[in-house]
Amino acid sequence: MSLAFDDYGRPYIILRDQGQKKRMKGLEAYKSNILAAKAIANTLQSSLGPKGMDKMLVSPDGDVSVTNDGATIVEKMEIQHPTAKLLVELSQSQDAEIGDGTTGVVVLAGKLLEQALTLLDKGIHPLKISDGFDRACDVAIKHLEQIAEEIDIQANDHEALIQAACTALGSKVVSKRKRELGKIAVTAVLDVADLTRKDVNLDLIKIQTKTGGSVEDTRLISGILIDKDMSHPQMQKEVTDAKICLLTCPFEPPKPKTKHNINISNAEDYNKLYQQEQQYFIDMVKLVKNSGANIALCQWGFDDEANHLLLQNNLPAVRWVSGTDVELIAMATGARIIPRFQEITPEKLGKAGSIKEVQFGTSNERMLVIENCQCTKAVTILIRGGSQMIVDEAKRSIHDAICVIRNLIKDNRIVYGGGSAELACALQVLQYADEVSSVEQYAVRSFADALEGIPSCLADNCGLNPITSVAQAKSRQLSEKNPRIGIDCMDLGTTDMKEQRIYETLSSKKQQIQLATQVVKMILKIDDVIAPDDY
Amino acid sequence: MSQFLQPTILLLREGTDTSQGRAQIVSNINAVQAVADVVKSTLGPRGMDKMIQTGPKVTISNDGATILNLLEVVHPAARVLVDIAKSQDDEVGDGTTSTTLLAAELLKEAKPFIEEGIHPQIVIQGYRKALELALEKLEGFSINISRDSPEDKRDTLLKCAQTALNSKLLANTKQFFSELVVSAVEKLDPNILDRDLIGIKNVTGGSVTDSFLVDGVAFKKTFSYAGFEQQPKRFENPKICLLNLELELKSEKENAEIRIEKPEEYQQIVDAEWALIYEKLEIIVKAGAQIVLSKLPIGDLATQYFADRNIFCAGRVPQEDLLRVQKATGGQVQTTVNGLNPETFGTCGLFEEVQVGAERYNLFKNCPQSRTATIVLRGGAEQFIQEAERSLNDAIMIVRRCFKANKIVAGGGAIELELSRYLRHYARSVTGKTQYIVNSYAKALEVIPRTIAENAGLNSIEIMNKLRQRHAQGGEEGRWYGVDINGQSGVCDTHSSFVWEPSLVKRNALCSATEAACAILSIDETVKNPKSDQDTKMKPKGQPGRPPMGMRR
Repeated sequence: MSLAFDDYGRPYIILRDQGQKKRMKGLEAYKSNILAAKAIANTLQSSLGPKGMDKMLVSPDGDVSVTNDGATIVEKMEIQHPTAKLLVELSQSQDAEIGDGTTGVVVLAGKLLEQALTLLDKGIHPLKISDGFDRACDVAIKHLEQIAEEIDIQANDHEALIQAACTALGSKVVSKRKRELGKIAVTAVLDVADLTRKDVNLDLIKIQTKTGGSVEDTRLISGILIDKDMSHPQMQKEVTDAKICLLTCPFEPPKPKTKHNINISNAEDYNKLYQQEQQYFIDMVKLVKNSGANIALCQWGFDDEANHLLLQNNLPAVRWVSGTDVELIAMATGARIIPRFQEITPEKLGKAGSIKEVQFGTSNERMLVIENCQCTKAVTILIRGGSQMIVDEAKRSIHDAICVIRNLIKDNRIVYGGGSAELACALQVLQYADEVSSVEQYAVRSFADALEGIPSCLADNCGLNPITSVAQAKSRQLSEKNPRIGIDCMDLGTTDMKEQRIYETLSSKKQQIQLATQVVKMILKIDDVIAPDDY
Repeated sequence: MSQFLQPTILLLREGTDTSQGRAQIVSNINAVQAVADVVKSTLGPRGMDKMIQTGPKVTISNDGATILNLLEVVHPAARVLVDIAKSQDDEVGDGTTSTTLLAAELLKEAKPFIEEGIHPQIVIQGYRKALELALEKLEGFSINISRDSPEDKRDTLLKCAQTALNSKLLANTKQFFSELVVSAVEKLDPNILDRDLIGIKNVTGGSVTDSFLVDGVAFKKTFSYAGFEQQPKRFENPKICLLNLELELKSEKENAEIRIEKPEEYQQIVDAEWALIYEKLEIIVKAGAQIVLSKLPIGDLATQYFADRNIFCAGRVPQEDLLRVQKATGGQVQTTVNGLNPETFGTCGLFEEVQVGAERYNLFKNCPQSRTATIVLRGGAEQFIQEAERSLNDAIMIVRRCFKANKIVAGGGAIELELSRYLRHYARSVTGKTQYIVNSYAKALEVIPRTIAENAGLNSIEIMNKLRQRHAQGGEEGRWYGVDINGQSGVCDTHSSFVWEPSLVKRNALCSATEAACAILSIDETVKNPKSDQDTKMKPKGQPGRPPMGMRR
C-alpha cells in the first residue's frame, strides 16, 4: 500500500504490516479477479462433453490421478488465488448438491466472466452488469422450466433413468460400457430408494473397488461386499441360509474398563485363572452356537486360541469388520448389533441367503459377499478395472450417475443435453434483451452469448467447427421452434437430442446457471482486494 | 540563554514516540480519512464489496464493521473508527459504514478550522450543539408507523429488512429474505427478542433461494456410531429427552484401582460396569423418551440399545443448539437420569432427519413453544454464504429494533439532507464562530447522499443540487427526497418508495459519529510506547535485569 507522510515527514502506519500488504482497487481489481477465475475455467473447458479430455494430476506425494470430473480436477489443483478458489467452491457445491455437471458450471462461470470483461471495457458499471446477468438468469431459468419435460421413470423398465445415467457417464473414461454401468447404477439406486418420500440415502450404496479384471466385470451385488476373509483358512468358505451374529465385542475374556491388576502368587491360582479364561471362550462360543447362528461377524479381533475353538465348533467367523460395514450389514440383513455375549438371542440374528468367500484372479486376496439379504436395503457396486487410476475414475463416474438418478427420482423433469437447453435459453434471453431499455440490455445480451459458449465449447471438443455447428443449431431451433436441437457430438447423424436420448436433469441445469450467475455476481462486486504482498 | 545549556531530561523510555499540538490533530484527521476511504465504496445499494485476505482465509464483505475489523488498523486515532463501527454493530447491527463515513467527514470539515487556529474545543462545542439539534429534529421528523393491524406491522418490518439488505449480495432476493427474516423474528418472544434464539446454519450448495426457515431447530447430524442407521428417523409429537450426560462405558483410569482376589470376582466387576450404563439406559427408555439428545457423547453401546427400542439419539450436540432445542420444545436439560421425569421432556410437532446439500440435518418442526427459529442458508461458495449470513444478521438486528421502536425515517440520504437543511437554516440565527461550525456539521451530513450517488455511478454534484433544491422548498413533500439509483432523474421520494430505516439506527449513528469526531479532535498529544517485542530484543544487548525506567528514578 502506498505510504502517506504527515507534517513531521513520518509515514503513517495505519494498518499492521502495512508495507507487506498489497491493495488493488477499481478496474485493476476487477480485471485481476476475472483473469484468475477465467484461467481455471479455461483449464476445465477441454473436459466438457462426451469427447472431453481427461486431466492427469500429480499430488505432492506423487499420487497420480486421471480424471474428467470437474470437481475432482479443481480440488486436486490446489489453487491458492482467492478468487480462483471461489470457482473451486462453486464446482464443489454443485458436486455436493447435484453431483453432476461440475465441469459445466465452471465453464459457464468462465464464459460469463469473459463477457463481463468486455462490458467493463465498455465502461459499464459492474453492478449494472451483475443486475443484467441476474435478470437474464431469471429469464433463462423460467424458460428452462418451460422446455423441461416430465418423464415417467417407471416406464419401460426405467429406460429413462438408464438413459440419463448414460448421459452422465458419456463423458467419462468408462463411456464404452455406459449402458451396463448405467443399468447397474439405476438398479442400485432403486434398491435403496424410498420412493414414497422421494429420498435416497446414498450411504446405503457402497462402492467397492478392486483392481484387476476389466470394467466389464463391474457388477452389482444386492447385498454387501466386505474386504475381509474368514478368520481361519480351514473354515467353510460358503454359508447358505446364513444366520449372522453381529458382535461389537471381542472374542476374549471381558476386561473391566477400570484399571486393574491381577496378582498371582502361586501356581494353583495361575491354573485357576487359565481355566477361567478357557471357560470364557467356551461359554462365548456356546452362546453364539445356542442362538442358532451359523456365522459370526465381529467388529474386533480375537486371538488364535479363540479362532481355533471356533473352527472346532464349526462356526465360521470374520474379524475386524469395520464399523460402517457392521452398520450396513445390520441394515441389509435385519440383524441387531449385539454389544455383549449375554445378550445374544435368536431374534437378533440377521439372515442372508448366502455368504461366500470369493477370490479374484490369481491374487490371494479374498472378499466376502453377503447376498440375498433378508431386507435388501443396502447394495454394493463392485468396480473392476485394469489399473488403480481407471478404477478410481470409474468410481467417480458411477457416483455422478447415481447422483443423476437420485435427482430424477426427486424431480422427474428433464431437459435435453448436447447444449440444446443452453441454446434455447440463449435465444430466449436474446429476445428478452430487446425489451430492456436500460444499460442492462448489454449485460443481458452478453449473458446469452455466454450461454452459447457451452454448445460451442462442446462442438470444439468434438472436433467440429464450433461456429458453424452452433449457428446451424441455432437457426434450426428458431425455424423449427424445437428447443431440442443441439450439437451432434457423437456423430449420430441427428441433432435432435430427443432422438439421441441425451437426458439431463432439470435440477442440475437450473443449478448450474444459478450457481454460476451467483458466483460471477460476487466476483463483480469486489472492487478492492487487500492481501499480503506475495499474493 | 541558559536554557540551551540545560541537560536534556529523559522523561520517557527510549523509542517512545511523542507528537503533539495542532499538527498532531491534523495528522490524526488524515489517518482517519485514509481508513474511511477504504469503506467508502461499500455504502448504499450500489456499494461494492471488499476482498480481504488474512493468512489463508479470504473474506468478501460489504459490512463496514467486518471490513474495518479485518483491516487490522494499528494507528491509534484510526482505531477509534473501528471501535465506533463495532459499537454501532453491537447496538443496532446496521449502519456501520455510514457511521464511519460520517465521523470521517465531520473531521474533514473540522480540519480547516484547526489549521486556521480555532481552538479544537470550540469546534467540539459546536458539533455537540449541532448534534443536539439534529437529534431533536430527528425525533420530530420520524414517522410513527401505524401499529393497528398485524399486517401493517409486518409490512413495515419487511420494508425495513429490505432496506438493510439493499446494499448486500442478497439485494436481488431481498423480497425472499426479508420474509424469512421477519418470520424468524416474529417467532421470538416479543418481550425479549433474544438474538441468540435465531440460529443460522450454513450449507454450501444449492441456490440462495433454496434457503429455508425452520420454525424450530435444525442442526447437522452429529457423529454417530454403528447402529445409528437402524434408528427411526421420523417422529410425530415425540417425547424429547435432553441430557448433559455421557452415555458410554466409562473407565475410571485415574483414580480407581481394583484388587481382585478370586477369578470369580472378575466377572462381577465387569458386570458392575455394564450394569451402570444399562441402568441409565433403562431409566431413559422406561420414562418413555423417543428422542435422546445429549451434549456429551453417546457411545456405540447406547446407540445400539436405543436402535433396538426404536429411539432416536444424537450425542455431542453443540451447546447452543441444545439450548435452542430446549427453548423450542419446552424440555429441560438433565444432568442425571436418576429420577428422570417425563415432565422434563420436550416435544415438537414433527421430527425428521433430511438431506440438505451434502449433509444430513435433524429438523425439529412445529414446536409448541416455538420461541426460536432456524434459518438454513444455501449458496454457491463458502464466502458467499458467510457474507449472506452477515447480511441476514444485519437485517435481523434491524427488524428486532423495529419491532420494539416503531419510529422510522426514510433512507437513501433523505433524512441526512433534511437535517442538514435544518441546521443550515438554524446556523443563520447564531452569532460567533459556532455559526461556521454548525454549518460544517450540516455540510458533513451530506456525505451520505453524496457517497450513495457516487457509488451508483451518478453525477453526484448534479444530484446534490437537485436534492438541496427539493428540500429547500420545505414542507412535507420535499422532506423525503433522497437518491434514487434506478430512475432517470436520480432523485425520488424515498419514503413513498419504501426505503425505510428505524430512526434508532440514524440516532445511534449520529451520536457515535459525533462522539468519535469530538474524541479525536480533543487529542493533542499521542504518546506511543515502543512495542514490547522490541523490548525483549533489546534486553540481551544491554544491562540484563535492568529495572524499568520508572523505578530507577
